[in-house]
Amino acid sequence: MRKIVIVLAILLLFAAPWIVSAPFFIHLMIMVLMWTVLGASWNILGGFTGQVSFGHATFLGAGAYTTMILYLKLGIAPWYGIPIGGLVAALIALPIGFICFRLRGPYFALSTLAVAEIIRLVALNWESFTNGPVGLLITTLPEVTFGGKSIDWENKIPFYYIIAVIALAAIVATYIMSRTRLGAYSLAIREDIDSAEAIGINTVQTRVAALSLSAFFAGVAGGFYAMYFRYIDPDAVFSIALSVEMVFIAVVGGLTTVAGPLIGAIVLVTFGETFRQIFLVGHLIFYGLMMMIVIRYLPEGIWGKLRLWFVTRH
Amino acid sequence: METFVQSIVSGLLTGSLYAMIGVGLTVIFGVMRIINMAHGDMVMFGMYGAFLSITFLKIDPFLSILIWIPLAFFIGVFIYRFLLKKIVPAGELNTLLYTAGLSLFIANLVLLIATGDYRTIKLKYAIMPLRPFGISVPIPLAIAFGMAILITIALYWFLVRTDTGRAIRATSQEPEAAALMGVNVDRTAIITFALGTALACSAGVLLAPSLYLYPTVGEILVAKCFVIVVLGGLGSVPGAIAGGVLLGVVESLGAVYVSVPYKDAIGFVIFLLVLLFRPSGLFGVGKS
Repeated sequence: MRKIVIVLAILLLFAAPWIVSAPFFIHLMIMVLMWTVLGASWNILGGFTGQVSFGHATFLGAGAYTTMILYLKLGIAPWYGIPIGGLVAALIALPIGFICFRLRGPYFALSTLAVAEIIRLVALNWESFTNGPVGLLITTLPEVTFGGKSIDWENKIPFYYIIAVIALAAIVATYIMSRTRLGAYSLAIREDIDSAEAIGINTVQTRVAALSLSAFFAGVAGGFYAMYFRYIDPDAVFSIALSVEMVFIAVVGGLTTVAGPLIGAIVLVTFGETFRQIFLVGHLIFYGLMMMIVIRYLPEGIWGKLRLWFVTRH
Repeated sequence: METFVQSIVSGLLTGSLYAMIGVGLTVIFGVMRIINMAHGDMVMFGMYGAFLSITFLKIDPFLSILIWIPLAFFIGVFIYRFLLKKIVPAGELNTLLYTAGLSLFIANLVLLIATGDYRTIKLKYAIMPLRPFGISVPIPLAIAFGMAILITIALYWFLVRTDTGRAIRATSQEPEAAALMGVNVDRTAIITFALGTALACSAGVLLAPSLYLYPTVGEILVAKCFVIVVLGGLGSVPGAIAGGVLLGVVESLGAVYVSVPYKDAIGFVIFLLVLLFRPSGLFGVGKS
């Protein structure tokens, strides 16, 4: 039963552009999947190890800038740039992790916020490298042939497939993590860090590993962001608001669950993007409201609650 | 030398307002262990309050503080009683996430109503700065400084001399012991939260004529606020005052002697260093 549902979901994921092809709908699905990756990224750290980061935009921004700068300055195509962006983000996560993980609970959260702000300010002012507040712009993407045909980058469908593959990878990675030692160690840390330490888990190493994996996916999503929007600036990719949105998607969907970030992204991004189409501003109002409702009434998140309901019923 | 004195003076002026916001956050943390991510939005409320007063009611922003303090107090009571009270026992991280949600909700609600336009408040009497001893002192900031000092002294007197103030300090030190001594901890929590909100809001009213107003201004302010209270030690009122003044001076010296664009980063760097090496704050009085 479960296998059939998963296979159907994957088929639906890849067939969706044929079912509904309105440009807004494709854009919406691209956004949902991009935020699924970001939510999954945050979940790998926040959900499993219980470390609340308010600075994940750092990794998104690192990935976005790496992809963009590699393409503009060295001519390296974004499909190599995106995974490299992920790796750079994962590398940046190492020193950040070793510094910030000396702190616990809310103090860790505040320290990640401070690190993210410092990095945003550096990106804003290091003009020779990042072009400062003006940002970076790609006018054309390189030509690629796929199955004998040249891919049309003006069309959104190729982007849809790229992000669909990335989102699938992020979900599979979450699943694998939940089955491996890293996941088990992380959960032990989430439940009680002192006990985890006492039974011999290297809590710093485990948390840094989770952060690095998490940063990798945020960086990949950032690279995709740069390529899809073809324009980035420090306030767009390093903002506190982005970090907070990632937290909300993961928490609203359901922490520590495999499908939670997808559900969170579907609920929040669908509403947010539709709201943006109508009112232009203030689309995050629903994010705030949902967060308050979820923390108050559904601490296990929407998917967490549904899953619990399925489990107890069958 | 003149630049040095000038930047110290500007730093003190802004720092006094930072201190007020920081004190609000720190008393709330002390009593309830809430890291209130929506604190910056309360400052934003005050700024828009001042803007509404001058545009629609034609009341001077500094005078309008008499309306906004009690109003903010009631908003604080409302938020605590109906939104936060049930969340607080769920732990520090849950309240952190919950207030982050509240912050996003408030900021975006204001964004919908007031749009994202930058607004300014122009005061007729404040076009030229004062120039005592050749140092330029903007009039709105000078008035705000004076009022911030008065409010902080009043608060200090309240905390030290009144029964309610003593109850707040006792709860902050040891909630269970305070409860055993007959302190109504629940009532104390409501009053503290309302007090913190009123402080943030009145700092907003005072800041409004000196800053640009926009709905997401709270985001930056709350980040600064954390710097301030961590510098002084979370939960410590004198620490928050010292931290606020210190941040104001450091920022203004940094703008002159380091670089204008990086002045905001200096605060965060100090913040990280203090968190890592002196988690109880520079003055060693806070609780970590």
